[in-house]
Amino acid sequence: MKQQKPLTKEQYLKKFSRAVRWRLPPQESEEAIADYRELIFQEERDESKLVEELGDPVQAAHLLTDVKTYRRWLKIFAVLAGGLFLLVKWAWTAMIPFRLYGIETWWYPVWVMAVGLPLSLYWFRRHGQKNGPMSRRLVLALAAGLLFLLGFAALYWYALDPKNLPIYTEHIDYQIYYESMLTVCCRVLVIYGGILWSLAAFAGLVLAKCYDRRWLALYALGLTIAATFGFVELNMLCMDLTYPGAEAMRAYLFIRILPIDAVGLIGTGVALC
Amino acid sequence: MLKKDLLELCLLQLLSGGDKYGYEVLTPLRTAFPDTQESAIYALLRGLGREKLTTWYMAPGGGGPDRKYYQLTPEGQARLELLRADWRNMRDAIASFGVE
Repeated sequence: MKQQKPLTKEQYLKKFSRAVRWRLPPQESEEAIADYRELIFQEERDESKLVEELGDPVQAAHLLTDVKTYRRWLKIFAVLAGGLFLLVKWAWTAMIPFRLYGIETWWYPVWVMAVGLPLSLYWFRRHGQKNGPMSRRLVLALAAGLLFLLGFAALYWYALDPKNLPIYTEHIDYQIYYESMLTVCCRVLVIYGGILWSLAAFAGLVLAKCYDRRWLALYALGLTIAATFGFVELNMLCMDLTYPGAEAMRAYLFIRILPIDAVGLIGTGVALC
Repeated sequence: MLKKDLLELCLLQLLSGGDKYGYEVLTPLRTAFPDTQESAIYALLRGLGREKLTTWYMAPGGGGPDRKYYQLTPEGQARLELLRADWRNMRDAIASFGVE
């Protein structure tokens, strides 16, 4: 039989809290943690026999889990996290190894968003719970995301201006090559911005499950930003500025980005309600 | 009657003797069933609460912070009667085989 590692009371509670927050809805998990805190910190409790008496903390959390709901959550999580992984990959390599007939590759990030946003909102509004007042960190993260998105839009609007673009870009084989400072900045922004906001979306997803469903707003906003960046990056790689011209391409990009972002921001608002 | 039912019977029986806090419920049960860990008993206790067989309230503990006290509901009392009857039947059935 496997030898159980001795844990201090604090270590036990920490391990149990982590496991139970991942498996149970927020309110139920907080109740279970409060009950275990009471049980663990009884004066009569012998710390050296903690695991022996109470059982392994992860196993203890498992005993409280509604297995059916938990498995369903794991499947949803796999889909949502898988989508974010694709966004990171596309932001980093801008390469898509597979092609779906009839769908241009630059729309793939938007498809990830089209699946992730309604699925996550449906799940968390049905199974998630609010927990106390809204976190200040969440408000700050959302404000940072909105500023980032606005800054990105302004920068690209300027970079894709027909007067500026020829100065900053060179056309070789119908592709834009990023060689000036501005275009390097734009490229770095879409690559690292896409990765950063995909990771922020992942953090939002985990925090929404473990603490408060309103953290899903960070997932929705991060997903929107990462999908927008992916759409722009893949578009820029395929863009032919000789036809129909930079002005038309700027209009093409922004006419598509605006509704995508509008839907993402509405989703962010719904996640907060 | 499964072991889970026996544990449930003992839990409800304990609570029928008056309101008790978690540790007070779990310790005697673990002593009586040494191969059962407290986490399993706690999960059972939580399940009883979900089925509205028990309820709880917070009250001051002995000099320390407030404790969660568990209380039997009328539904819990009815369930206890049912389990008691099951237990008597099982005990009589086993005794009929000469098991003491």
